[in-house]
Amino acid sequence: MTFSELLTKLTADTQGSLLPFAPELCIVGTILLLLFVRLLDLDRWLPPALVAIAGAVVALGLSARQFSEFSGTDAHVQTMFTGLLVYDPFTVFFRIFLLLFLLFVIYLTIVTGIPDAEDSPDFYTLLLGSTLGMLLMVSANNLLMVFLAIEMTSLPSYAMAGFLKGRKTSSEAALKYVVYGAGTAGVMLFGISLLAGLLGTTHFPQMGPALMELARQEHFTMASPEFRTLAIGILMVLVGVAFKLSLFPFHFWCPDVFEGAAAEVGGFLSVASKGAAFALLIRFLLALVGGSAAPGGGPHSLYLQIGIALSLIAVVTTTFGNLAAYFQTNIKRLLAYSTIAHAGYMLMAVGSMMVVLNSPVGEMFAGETRSETAAGCVQGLLYYLVVYFFMNLGVFAIVAFVRNATFGKNNTGEELSDYAGLVGQSPVLAICLLICVFSLIGLPPFGGFFGKFMVFYSVLASTQAHWVMWIVLVAGLFNTVFSLFYYLRVLKCAFIDSRPAEARVVDVDMGSDAGRYALLVTVPVVLLGVAVEPISRVAREVAGWLLNT
Amino acid sequence: MADMLTRLIPLFPLLACLITAVAGAKWLKEKSHWPVVIGCGLSSLCSLALLFSIPNTPGEQVQPVVLYQWMQIVEPKIENGPVYAPGAEGVSPGLDLKISLRADSLSTTMLAMLTFVATLVAVYASGYMHGDRAYWRFFSIVGLFVFSMIMLVLSANFLQLFVFWEAVGLCSYLLIGFWYEKPEAAAAGMKAFVVNRIGDFGFATGVFLIWTTFGSTEFSAVLGDSAAIAKLASTNPYLLTTICLCLFTGAIGKSAQFPLHVWLPDAMEGPTPVSALIHAATMVTAGVYLVARCTPLFQLAPDAQVFVALIGGITALLAALIALTQNDLKRVLAYSTVSQLGFMFLGLGTGSLVGIGGAMFHLVTHAFFKALLFLGAGSVMHAMGGVIDMREFRGLKRLMPQTHTTFLIGALALAGIPPLSGFWSKDTILGAVYEQAHAHHEPAVAGAAPTATDEHADESHATTSAPPDKTMFGVSRVKLFGWLYWLGTLTAFLTAFYTFRAFFLTFYGGPEKVPHAAGHHAHESPPSMCNPLWILSGGAALLGLLLGHMTGIFDGYLSGTIDGLKEASHEHGINWLVAAVSSVVAAIGVGLAWVMYKEPSAIPGRLAALAGPFTRLSEHRFYLDEVYSVFVVKPLQGLAHFSRFFDWLFVDGLFVTGVSKLPAVLGRLPRPIQNGLVQFYALAMMLATAVLMWALLSKQT
Repeated sequence: MTFSELLTKLTADTQGSLLPFAPELCIVGTILLLLFVRLLDLDRWLPPALVAIAGAVVALGLSARQFSEFSGTDAHVQTMFTGLLVYDPFTVFFRIFLLLFLLFVIYLTIVTGIPDAEDSPDFYTLLLGSTLGMLLMVSANNLLMVFLAIEMTSLPSYAMAGFLKGRKTSSEAALKYVVYGAGTAGVMLFGISLLAGLLGTTHFPQMGPALMELARQEHFTMASPEFRTLAIGILMVLVGVAFKLSLFPFHFWCPDVFEGAAAEVGGFLSVASKGAAFALLIRFLLALVGGSAAPGGGPHSLYLQIGIALSLIAVVTTTFGNLAAYFQTNIKRLLAYSTIAHAGYMLMAVGSMMVVLNSPVGEMFAGETRSETAAGCVQGLLYYLVVYFFMNLGVFAIVAFVRNATFGKNNTGEELSDYAGLVGQSPVLAICLLICVFSLIGLPPFGGFFGKFMVFYSVLASTQAHWVMWIVLVAGLFNTVFSLFYYLRVLKCAFIDSRPAEARVVDVDMGSDAGRYALLVTVPVVLLGVAVEPISRVAREVAGWLLNT
Repeated sequence: MADMLTRLIPLFPLLACLITAVAGAKWLKEKSHWPVVIGCGLSSLCSLALLFSIPNTPGEQVQPVVLYQWMQIVEPKIENGPVYAPGAEGVSPGLDLKISLRADSLSTTMLAMLTFVATLVAVYASGYMHGDRAYWRFFSIVGLFVFSMIMLVLSANFLQLFVFWEAVGLCSYLLIGFWYEKPEAAAAGMKAFVVNRIGDFGFATGVFLIWTTFGSTEFSAVLGDSAAIAKLASTNPYLLTTICLCLFTGAIGKSAQFPLHVWLPDAMEGPTPVSALIHAATMVTAGVYLVARCTPLFQLAPDAQVFVALIGGITALLAALIALTQNDLKRVLAYSTVSQLGFMFLGLGTGSLVGIGGAMFHLVTHAFFKALLFLGAGSVMHAMGGVIDMREFRGLKRLMPQTHTTFLIGALALAGIPPLSGFWSKDTILGAVYEQAHAHHEPAVAGAAPTATDEHADESHATTSAPPDKTMFGVSRVKLFGWLYWLGTLTAFLTAFYTFRAFFLTFYGGPEKVPHAAGHHAHESPPSMCNPLWILSGGAALLGLLLGHMTGIFDGYLSGTIDGLKEASHEHGINWLVAAVSSVVAAIGVGLAWVMYKEPSAIPGRLAALAGPFTRLSEHRFYLDEVYSVFVVKPLQGLAHFSRFFDWLFVDGLFVTGVSKLPAVLGRLPRPIQNGLVQFYALAMMLATAVLMWALLSKQT
């Protein structure tokens, strides 16, 4: 191949990649525009929030169009930029998820006014930059891309966590986040280099076959150095993802960062960053399993171990989150533990998928094929994420509104006591809080119940594959009970306790922007519980495309 | 046409109920009766039209009007589904439930009676309830009741029947306890509800049994399939008998038969129009309707039929005996209702088509004269300022002439004096019982079901009809019905006596006396109350003559559902001997009451003293309430207390509170880890990675 041929090929590939990559390009363009706005001092005439919204809307529209092109056709997997990124329904589903969430967060920041006029171009640049990293995470098709995307997500996040510059806790939180993130990034990069060295490739579609090839060699046994290197490499990559997901024992940053950062940032990190990390985790695990059939031998026992390990980590994470939340008096800290617990619930679905895909027990699970059952697990995760999007954002938004109303000289406005008697002050906020919290608990008829139901159902399906999953299922159910206590404490505060006379008034009614925003976020929580079918069907189709069923 | 009418009939009362419920309290207020009166009236007109527009040909399957599919579970198949249904092998229909309306001659007869009486009662209630605080609530519930009762009668499957069976029970509960601030009313409502639960349990069991046996709950599939019933009767007669007895248990509860009759007299705490409509004319006859509807099943379960007859006979006599000594006018009528319902079951229990037709006819005539009597009693009560104890007033004839005359007509009809309606229907039943008592040939078990045309049905005739000398409880069937006949005749005598006792005590019995509560303005009731009385008394007087044996119209019409009834009643005609005996007996009863109560006399007191223990037995209603209290209520209360204790100690105390303590205890554990030192965090992360590696690798070697 001559150089000119290579050049021609590269040009063609790049040109072909531009169209599927359009939403990301749009975000990049918006970031550039924001920087120019800052540089040329145009932000008085051109509000950065509007620029960011415009960019997000256009990107969202492009993604929605891409998604509609997929429906009705067979799996249509396409790679971008010489295989670094993959373009399939799963990618586009998460693009929509992330961009819609970005829109909601920008709208929230407009309502609460948290980046003041001076700082807002910087804030939205960081927000969009972080989102761009997440968009790359969900379409990563190469170990290198995994690392780049995670770092691209993390670096703006560090800055955003410390964005409340005047507050000591905020700066402290950002520093802890950076240190912890740097540590895990190092571990992850080490793991990636081990895997790349062993397999000779970092390209996801080639990893599975390379692993099988390796396993077929005679000297490859459980005790061989290659095998150990492989296991360590996979584990180290997973540590990097576990940091983003704040799984126990890699969660330490989470409560401190959430307490220090603004509620808007907390909401963004808790939903968008987790969603992207789950997409990445699923892609990585599926790349390991590859298209190889006939599990039972070779690396599949290792994968089964990893699946079980993930499930057990999920149990420990959920239990830890739910128990640690019990004594919190700071609402953001409490919610940080709540997000840890929810990451655990969602990880159960991933663990189940891994167990189902690699179990040596037969090909059929309760009348479904192996990959159909695995698709069910992914479906449960996706539905959970969609519900989590609204219910968690709803809670964080209400935290921001209450903070804005009760913030004072000696009061951060983020303690549980600030919520005492909320229902008498602002019924609309209290009712929205009630619905979101009920949904977080998993009470029907709200969306959270069905998300949890689907996840637990997938765990139930995987009990056929391995008995340990029974423990996971029972622990998950018990955790739902444990979580009741601290969630209900919040509600008791808001609904039963009476408001101290000296406390500041929360006057958010239905007509105000804040009240409307709370309703806007809460209504989908109810709808997702009432009409489960539409979204769950989309989730099922996306999962089916991903797993080739 | 018929389909359209069938849809409209339940629609009007439902709309009336909703309109009154929504607009009653705020806008309609004292005009709240209009929607219900108009709704019931329209419904009544439609019912009359429907009487003549259904294709009433015997043996033809009625196509129900399907409103919507309630649930449809075809799979998973029940392996041994309809065990006894024909062609059951490998076929299992699952659960296929529709909300549908089935208009045949039986249901249209009930409908015409129900909506007509309901309309009159609604008009009457607009006067009676005038000025009540919750005027709109009353009419809203009445509308709901009429709707539910219509749906009950029009049901095309057992499950829908059960649903509306419960719905009318709910309305009954709401209306008995209408004046809930009165403790007696609240308690009576609860009693009615709880006692009915016992019967409903049996009914529900019966429906389940039907479903597992026949694989369907549709009338067309269960009652219309005579071959399946015949097969069941020949292969497993006990199952068929059990099904019938379970269904009859439901009827015992709803129709207040011994031993579950105790709720009905207490139900008189409700407003009097309710007593007339629900607790005399319509709802309590649902049990009779159910048994009549299930005739194809009962026909092949002779044991169950005799049981029905026995319960009916015992109830008739028992209630009549209790009615003798009651001083509360409404309670006398309530026991009379129980007694007359017993008569109807006696007729159903004979198993002959004439008896079943007689029971249905008695149901219709009874609805008229008993509603009339209750409304008359209500009129008295209205005038007496809410007092209904007959010792508090007397000699009201002059004061309330219209009530007096209409009440007299009703009382004569109830007493069974010819030619009023009660005579004809009661006589038909007694005649049917008499015939069973003197049966030397096989009892007339004619067509077991409308479609009894194929071979199976013929076989069933030969194999399952009860031989006349079959013994039950150690007594031959013939002898048993002989006793029941005399028991019925005795009851007829007692009925005439206690009815006229009440009549004379109220309207005669010496100089006019009015209780204090009535004040100085005791007066005849307004036209809105008197006019319905006149219309009803017309029905009570003439219905028997017009539709009964003399013309055969009723039996002829009903034979559309109960195949062969027309021929059977034509063949048997009127048993003049029975008619003469019962008329004479009734006349004696009336005469005796005249002698004892026309003028104040010492005879009743002396007689009561003479029959000391029996009087007390009657006055205390055979101590049944006390027996229930000791053997049922008290033990259940004990159980309730124990359950509450158990709940407090174990469920609430140890379990719930225990679990709630758990997070508090466990929640302390993670606290030291989260110490805020980033150095420690980094160390913990590395340690954790190392531990995970060790765990993963040690497993592999």
